[in-house]
Amino acid sequence: MDSKEIEERIKAEAIKQHTISVDPNAGKEKNTTINMTDGVLIPKKGEKHVFTSWRLTFFGALILSAVLIIFFPDPYRQIFITCLRGAPVTFEVTVFSIIGAVIIGTFTGLGSVSKRRWINMICGVYVELIRGIPLLVQLIFIYYAVGSLFHVEGMIAAIFSLSVCFGAYMGEIVRAGIQAIPKGQMEAAIALGLTRGQAFRYIILPQTVKVILPAIGNEFISMLKDSSLVSVLSLEDILRCGRMYISRTFLSLETMLVVALIYLIITLVLSRLVGLLEERLHKNG
Amino acid sequence: MAKIEIQNLSKDFDTPNGVLHAVKNTSLTVNDGEVVVIIGPSGSGKSTMLRCVNGLEKPTSGHILIDGVDTTDQATDIRKIREDVGMVFQSFNLFPHLTVLDNITLAPMKVKKMKKEDAEKLGLELLKRVGLEEKASVHPPQLSGGQQQRVAIARALAMNPKAMLFDEPTSALDPEMIKEVLDVMLALAKDGMTMLLVTHEMGFARAAADKVVFMDNGEIIETGTPEKMFTSPESDRTKDFLNHIL
Repeated sequence: MDSKEIEERIKAEAIKQHTISVDPNAGKEKNTTINMTDGVLIPKKGEKHVFTSWRLTFFGALILSAVLIIFFPDPYRQIFITCLRGAPVTFEVTVFSIIGAVIIGTFTGLGSVSKRRWINMICGVYVELIRGIPLLVQLIFIYYAVGSLFHVEGMIAAIFSLSVCFGAYMGEIVRAGIQAIPKGQMEAAIALGLTRGQAFRYIILPQTVKVILPAIGNEFISMLKDSSLVSVLSLEDILRCGRMYISRTFLSLETMLVVALIYLIITLVLSRLVGLLEERLHKNG
Repeated sequence: MAKIEIQNLSKDFDTPNGVLHAVKNTSLTVNDGEVVVIIGPSGSGKSTMLRCVNGLEKPTSGHILIDGVDTTDQATDIRKIREDVGMVFQSFNLFPHLTVLDNITLAPMKVKKMKKEDAEKLGLELLKRVGLEEKASVHPPQLSGGQQQRVAIARALAMNPKAMLFDEPTSALDPEMIKEVLDVMLALAKDGMTMLLVTHEMGFARAAADKVVFMDNGEIIETGTPEKMFTSPESDRTKDFLNHIL
């Protein structure tokens, strides 16, 4: 199996997580699934159609923003400035949460392929539990439930909840990545006298990282969008800055247009970066 | 060097279609410095038997003794056994993310705690032995199949094993690359390495094997010198098989 093939499998696995399947056995038997990734499409040079749509949307969004700022400085210039004040919080939450999610995901992924049944069980229950509860509910639950015991700062609660939630998805990505590494790699390592732990550390995980990097990029983008939910925790991210502005000026439509444009532009830039990353990984075999 | 004794080995696999008896109550001894070649049709249990020797498969019943130490005993540290028994796979199984040299030095450094410079010196020596010293810093996917398999042999030798297992080492190779691998294996055999091989290279068996074992259906049907096995086998099944492949 070459690395390209492995990446395809990872992607299929990642898509499956967000798949709406026509009937429950479809995925296993026929592949008559409808792929509905909730992530953005990743524009790559090879995929003309997606790439063109990406360009149209991206430059459309840029031009619209420029037009608004230049020709309607009142109120748009002020709205942009206000909303962008939330960008650092959005990025802070996203970056720390993705780091947390990767750490949790690595352990969950390793746990799911562990030879010990009870560890598999714990990881399995964690993944099921988290995936079955809406993120907004988790966020509010952790904030208020944990907050009734200890004092939790909004930022910590947000990063914690997003890490725990995305950690479950990340765990599945890591598991798929590990399982995509040919079995012979583990066998060769074991046959040389390495322990399973050493084999994972020196042989399996380094190869897994390369394979799941694009999937992690996708999760990062999803995370950035979902981080808008943290505005319910009185964190001043892009969305909350916008809503505060609305409560002062009642310019709902204008403000939300700007908020949407900001998220859109950030997401499109990131998705292109992930695309570039994938292209590079392919080139380096 | 080492002696491998396989005693009444059985290995069953649970499959969706019921239990598969891959190896049935089979015994085989490889004496110190001997080269034993196992032949037989695919699915006859040759590879499974080989993989039981270093514990990649857990025997269902029976014993495997290496220098008198029972590997199937709960108290035996199977990892220690694996350090002494090198294995070469059909699909090479080199680590693609490491350079050729790092492939070789990894196990000595991590398992035997050898110092980096010592391990690298050893690695370069072994690469010279398999004729690939100039490839030390490239990654395995850039090598041909024959070169990869030679690196895999060097990697196994780096642990200074007392015995070597070869699981169809030339079956995944293009014909023109088989010889370079067989030459390395022949040299090993001449050096007195204890070797247990699954292979269909009759030329190699003739040149190097002390014993040829014919397996079918999980059982050893016939054992003999290569001379006898290839010219006047006793069993009809052996004859039939040899007629097909020779």
